[in-house]
Amino acid sequence: MPDAMQATLFGYTEGQIAQFGLTFGVGAFILYMLFIVLNLALESKAGKFGTFILFLVLSFGMLGFMAKNIIQWVLDLG
Amino acid sequence: MNHHADTFVTPEPLPINLVSPLRWLALGWADLRRNPVPGLLHGLALSVFGWLLLWAARDQFWLLAGAFSGFLIVAPVLATGLYHVSRSCGVGRCVGMREVLQLWASGDGRMVRFGLLLALAGTGWVITSAALVTLLSPEPIHRPIDFLRHVVLARELGLFEYWVLLGAVLAAPVFASSVVAMPMLVDTSVPVNMAVAASWSAVAENPLPMALWALLIAVLVGLGMITGLLGLIVLLPLLAHASWHAYCDLTRRKTTDHPVPAPPAHA
Repeated sequence: MPDAMQATLFGYTEGQIAQFGLTFGVGAFILYMLFIVLNLALESKAGKFGTFILFLVLSFGMLGFMAKNIIQWVLDLG
Repeated sequence: MNHHADTFVTPEPLPINLVSPLRWLALGWADLRRNPVPGLLHGLALSVFGWLLLWAARDQFWLLAGAFSGFLIVAPVLATGLYHVSRSCGVGRCVGMREVLQLWASGDGRMVRFGLLLALAGTGWVITSAALVTLLSPEPIHRPIDFLRHVVLARELGLFEYWVLLGAVLAAPVFASSVVAMPMLVDTSVPVNMAVAASWSAVAENPLPMALWALLIAVLVGLGMITGLLGLIVLLPLLAHASWHAYCDLTRRKTTDHPVPAPPAHA
């Protein structure tokens, strides 16, 4: 019984919390990167087309990262 | 008929901002609801073609990837008839499939040339992504299940993320070349290079809304694909109609400046 209590926190295992942290932590980090890129694009002389490419690539990367996590989550359920 | 026109006139173009892509989707949805038959028939035909591709190349991943990428890149060209439907909706006229097919039968060489250029870009994507995956994958990828197992389901960050980023880098110029060009080729008689130049400058003028528009298109096509292509029956015509409204806003096209060609006389 004490082993089971040590292994979980608010009903989640350490592995689940780590996975949650990784998923949302990296997601939040990517959002922060988008913010940094926006600032860079506004302040630099990258040009508007460069801004488009930067945002497209970063947001596709974020989308791919989320899609990969969702696919893994769905297949783990199955 | 006049009453019809007063009721359904397309709104005049608005300045572009981050809400614009949602507005285009709403206007596209309104067009699809107003005149659903041509859109749904296009969606059905493209989905059936997609199912045939899936069936024909089900065990050969690179053939499937090549055929499907080409299909998705060229699909907007195949849906050009729907720009004409939206354009006609804008002046209160509902056109049927007969008129859309007549647009195809007109044999506009510019559209064929543009479709071939897009197919070339699709081929470039498949070759580049095959090289990346072959180089970095720990196991050989032959079947779709191999790609799912060794690339998509790989626990560590790496190959899949590189693959998506590479796709975005290659998709950016294709999107920038076509977002305005395709409706413009239907709407005007400008040559392909002028339409593509107008498309690039529209993207350069509105980088963030256009990146959001590209992302929305990718998300909606992705959603359509995970429903076993069923969702594409509705989503492809929705995106085609919405693309027409994107073109109108991006080029400040006014409905009143461009009279829609009169319906052809019935035989």
